[in-house]
Amino acid sequence: MIERPPHPRHAPLLAIKNLVTAFHTPAGRIPAVDGVSLSIERGRTLGIVGESGCGKSVTAMSVLRLVASPGRIEAGEILFSSGGTTLDLATLPEPAMRSVRGGRIGMIFQEPMTSLNPVFTVGDQIAEAVLLHRRVSREAARARALEMLQLVRLADPRQRLDEYPHQLSGGMRQRVMIAMALACDPELVIADEPTTALDVTIQAQILELLSELRARLGTAIVLITHDLGVVAETCDDVAVMYAGRVVEQAPAAELFARPRHPYTIGLLAARPSPGMKHSGPLRTIPGMVPLPQHFPAGCRFHPRCAYARLPGAESGSGRAVPLPAGELPCNAAVPPLHEVAPGHLVRCFHAESLGPPRSAQEIAAGGLFP
Amino acid sequence: MTAPLVEVEQLQTYFPIRRGLLRRVVGNVQAVDGVSFSIARGKTLGLVGESGCGKTTVGRSILRLVEPTGGRVSFDGLAVRDLRGRDLRNLRRRMQVVFQDPYGSLNPRMTVRALIEEGLIIHGLCSARERVDRVVRAMERTGLSRQALERYPHEFSGGQRQRIAIARALVLEPDFLVLDEPISALDLSIQAQVVNLLIELREQLGLTYLFISHDLSVVEHVSDEVAVMYLGRIVEQATAAALYAQPLHPYTLALFSAVPTVDPARRRRRIVLVGDVPSPSNPPRGCRFHPRCPLAESVCREVDPPMVSLPEHAVHCHVAARELARSGGNASVAAATIATLLADRATPPAATLSPS
Repeated sequence: MIERPPHPRHAPLLAIKNLVTAFHTPAGRIPAVDGVSLSIERGRTLGIVGESGCGKSVTAMSVLRLVASPGRIEAGEILFSSGGTTLDLATLPEPAMRSVRGGRIGMIFQEPMTSLNPVFTVGDQIAEAVLLHRRVSREAARARALEMLQLVRLADPRQRLDEYPHQLSGGMRQRVMIAMALACDPELVIADEPTTALDVTIQAQILELLSELRARLGTAIVLITHDLGVVAETCDDVAVMYAGRVVEQAPAAELFARPRHPYTIGLLAARPSPGMKHSGPLRTIPGMVPLPQHFPAGCRFHPRCAYARLPGAESGSGRAVPLPAGELPCNAAVPPLHEVAPGHLVRCFHAESLGPPRSAQEIAAGGLFP
Repeated sequence: MTAPLVEVEQLQTYFPIRRGLLRRVVGNVQAVDGVSFSIARGKTLGLVGESGCGKTTVGRSILRLVEPTGGRVSFDGLAVRDLRGRDLRNLRRRMQVVFQDPYGSLNPRMTVRALIEEGLIIHGLCSARERVDRVVRAMERTGLSRQALERYPHEFSGGQRQRIAIARALVLEPDFLVLDEPISALDLSIQAQVVNLLIELREQLGLTYLFISHDLSVVEHVSDEVAVMYLGRIVEQATAAALYAQPLHPYTLALFSAVPTVDPARRRRRIVLVGDVPSPSNPPRGCRFHPRCPLAESVCREVDPPMVSLPEHAVHCHVAARELARSGGNASVAAATIATLLADRATPPAATLSPS
């Protein structure tokens, strides 16, 4: 187990504040990210978890300013504190952004085959990143590339330097991606589903490598994934996203010991865990993830929520709990992201009244809220 | 005890590697090399393993979507590999398949109705009038409403498309379904819905499944028996309960330990395997897992491990065989010893280089 660095008091390395990123299509404005606030401390790992279309990748792309047209950052700040200065990446001019991207912020994408250039050798591609950001000779850049391949423990690094991506396996390519992301000593690495395309035994190798490099180099990592297990095993902090918003955020240990948002609980309950024989059907979250064109009003999860409190006549599912007098129905207003325990934020009106919290393993074993 | 519906014996499927102007065969990809199992009527066999281990090829070979190179496949007493023409077509009505990617497996130019009724037309099973009824019945079984009949696949989400693919298989009233990663392309909250549907259908219709997946927890939930494949071979096979409680093969243990879990109490010491899966065109001698196995001994490099069977459990491993012999065939004692051995040996090497 790696020693977690203590919670620092100074300015966070990256602070995203009320980010709104929308796509303007002929069908209308699609707010893929709708008011997301997150912060990452130096040397820590933040997991952003959610299903497809929840906005986790668009959040990452916004930080790197790689959102392609017709997408645009419409509001919010992305404050990156590096070397004593704070830059707002949301508005930073493109030439300055170029020195941040791949330099002080590294990136690792899901599909290493498509993110590596098939016509250049691995060594040339890593060296290119170094030459872009550092004033060094070609020889020095190549030496750095070799050093990076050794760092990520690629077998036969000297030989691999002159090989092309197609000659490597998926796990090896992902190691090359990590080498490239780390080549310029970034303070932050954004890894978007870095292990999703890999087999579990290779995933274990890559996660082990990332944790080890994080501990040795002090690089902060934003790890984007749909796998709660990956988050539980590798992250210090977790943000759960649903339909363009953060619905729950907490230190990882707290989140899995006391998950509070019905969506998080639903996700934990829907997964059988190995070695735990279940009787009866798996518990499901009914319905499906809404498309951004059709985000429901109020709490965006309420149509699928087992605990939604709605005015009697509108509870279509038949499972909705009747609304106690004086309480706001879930479809009327957007619940605020509020603190339910130190550092634990939940976007749900009723998080505190759902009963005593249960841990992730109790939920997986069959103990939902009463 | 019912007679098995599907029996596979020493199944072999090789793909030739051709090179040069004359496309001469210079070698073989040994995708499946000597796989045997049987599935009783109404039961589910889970087939797990990593990409390239041959699990999909096993499914396709049974259906004769690829022609096996050797071995025997029998379905309800029929020798599948000998069937031709009409007999083969009749057999195929009884064995259906659901593929992983519901975006790729449904023709985007066909309506839901056309997609589902296609099989009925090909097999000439009923009149045009009856056809709609049967299509609607299959759709209702999978939770699709009648309104979907004239719509196109792009109008549906991944989970609903997979329901269309399942309805397409069910409309022919098959006995046996090959489910090839049926939930891997779906979102987490939708996976549970489809798993529940598959279990419900199996119970209502008495279906038999070959459930192919790399997702160990879902396989355990769905299957009665589970076989673990590595590089074209089954390395371990047991009832789901026995396999998950007492894994004997080092590869199975490594696979289980690699699955990230949210439960800190269940978090095993991760056994990180070094290296990648070798190429199936040139598999290693002896035990195919030996180059990556932390417990490999000299015998493993030379001799293909024989199968050791217990009631409800079979394993191909020299170390497991020895531990089983030592414990007098007690699987839980042997499994515990192997787990301890692995935990001692499998510490990953520390990196030696410091960054500049």
